[in-house]
Amino acid sequence: MGTVANEVIKPVKVERKLSFKGVITNEYFLYVVSFVSFIAIWHFVAKAQLLGKSLATPWEVIKELGRMTQTTLAGKTLWGHIWASTRRILIGFTLGAVIGVPLGLFMALNKYVNAVVKPIFDLFKPMPPIAWISIAILWFGIGEPSKIFIIFIGSLVPCLLNSYNGIRIIDEELYDVVRVLGGNRRDEILQVSFPAAFPALFAGLQISLSIAWTCVLAAELVSARSGLGWIIIRGMKLTKPELVLGGMAIIAIVAMGTTLLISGLEKFICPWKRGIEGL
Amino acid sequence: MAYEEVKVKKPLSLTVLPILAITIFFVGWQLIVDTGVVPSTMLASPTKVIRLFIYKLTNANPDGAVLGVHAWMSMKEAVTAYLLAMVMGVPLGLLMGWFTVVRGLARPVFEIIRPIPPIAWIPLCIFWFGIGIWGKIFIIWIAGIVPFVINSWVGVGMTNPTFIQMARTYGASDWQIFTQICIPSALPMVFGALQIALAYCWTNLVGAELLAADQGLGYLISMGRRLALPDMVVLGMVCVGIGGAIIGLIVDLLEKRLLAWIKR
Repeated sequence: MGTVANEVIKPVKVERKLSFKGVITNEYFLYVVSFVSFIAIWHFVAKAQLLGKSLATPWEVIKELGRMTQTTLAGKTLWGHIWASTRRILIGFTLGAVIGVPLGLFMALNKYVNAVVKPIFDLFKPMPPIAWISIAILWFGIGEPSKIFIIFIGSLVPCLLNSYNGIRIIDEELYDVVRVLGGNRRDEILQVSFPAAFPALFAGLQISLSIAWTCVLAAELVSARSGLGWIIIRGMKLTKPELVLGGMAIIAIVAMGTTLLISGLEKFICPWKRGIEGL
Repeated sequence: MAYEEVKVKKPLSLTVLPILAITIFFVGWQLIVDTGVVPSTMLASPTKVIRLFIYKLTNANPDGAVLGVHAWMSMKEAVTAYLLAMVMGVPLGLLMGWFTVVRGLARPVFEIIRPIPPIAWIPLCIFWFGIGIWGKIFIIWIAGIVPFVINSWVGVGMTNPTFIQMARTYGASDWQIFTQICIPSALPMVFGALQIALAYCWTNLVGAELLAADQGLGYLISMGRRLALPDMVVLGMVCVGIGGAIIGLIVDLLEKRLLAWIKR
């Protein structure tokens, strides 16, 4: 039961008769139909080799993944490769957030910091993080630091931009309220700026994270000896599509996991945002 | 209510500081390379990059094509994939927002594909399309279609329910409500996707070209690395940045024009 202004909205449960049409157009029924037919078409296309030998059946992919948790590939089991990628993400992303968020907040709160940092930041902003791979390899070699550097660059930009914009779009009236109540600049920042910027800031973290995944994959595809991107490229070189598809599936699952982690953190830290977002 | 406009004089330091920051940035860059703090095998000075830029305008060495050809190739791929993503993504998203059947059928597949970074499709693309232009277009297309679908879908979802109820009361059919009410009210959200999708497309273009290409700005960057020519790497990065900024400006202009046209 929710209230809008002074009205009370009572949820009404409509009894629907179970009809053929009702079942056919039920959203959840269609989800199942869609999922099953997706898998079925995939299986059929792979089995009939419509795309040559470049597609493995879903079952082959699962079998391959199961095998990889037991045996090692380049000295690491599947879990080892998952951890290798996740570790790079965690380090690079944390560095990007720890530097990007405070810098963005500072830029929005202090116009002198803004005047110095913004022009230089604007020079780098339109450059996709993946374009840094080559220079990162020239600078740091092909080891871990170059990969972490790319992830850092990729996650820095959205973190900085969103925390900057998060403060700049705050309604000026909120500041007026604090001033009327006798607050000083410190109160303005702590009571208004930070809480009001949090939702935008978290949106920035989510974008950063998805960019970080793209970056780590690109870096691992170019040069690596471990990680999920390496698994995919390995599958390509050995012409083993089940390895490629397995790697893609695992990336999807792990990336989804990290996204859920951030949105869980957001719900925990800014509970006032709950229910605002419908999707 | 009339407000008197108050002119606040901008402190001089605020106009000088940005110019100073940029100048120091470029001079510092030039100096650390010239004085050898950073070896010239790792970074090229700005003057060297500019010299290479002028050289590459007319000269195909050492990577096989002049700069214009690389830029044209990248633009062609990005724009084709972007338009394809728009033409397919927007209608799909709009339909998913309004018709349960479309949503029920399309959503699971969409949700399976969405969390996979487009770069991860590269090996499959090479299996399917070879290393030609279509493989790259496919990757960029995957990158671009996600924001188009999501924004159109959310845009339809944000339609004012009162309008829909009113249309129902007057006996409008589902299709009429969709075309007359949902689509117009979703348009601002759809336009919002134009910029997001463009940024995604441009990022993934570089990724796709780093791995499988024989022309394009991403290819220029990776050739620079393989030949250990930092000036070429930096030149490629600068061109990618400028190219992205130019397309971004064009889309921004179009967006403003379209929005103004719709409001009228």
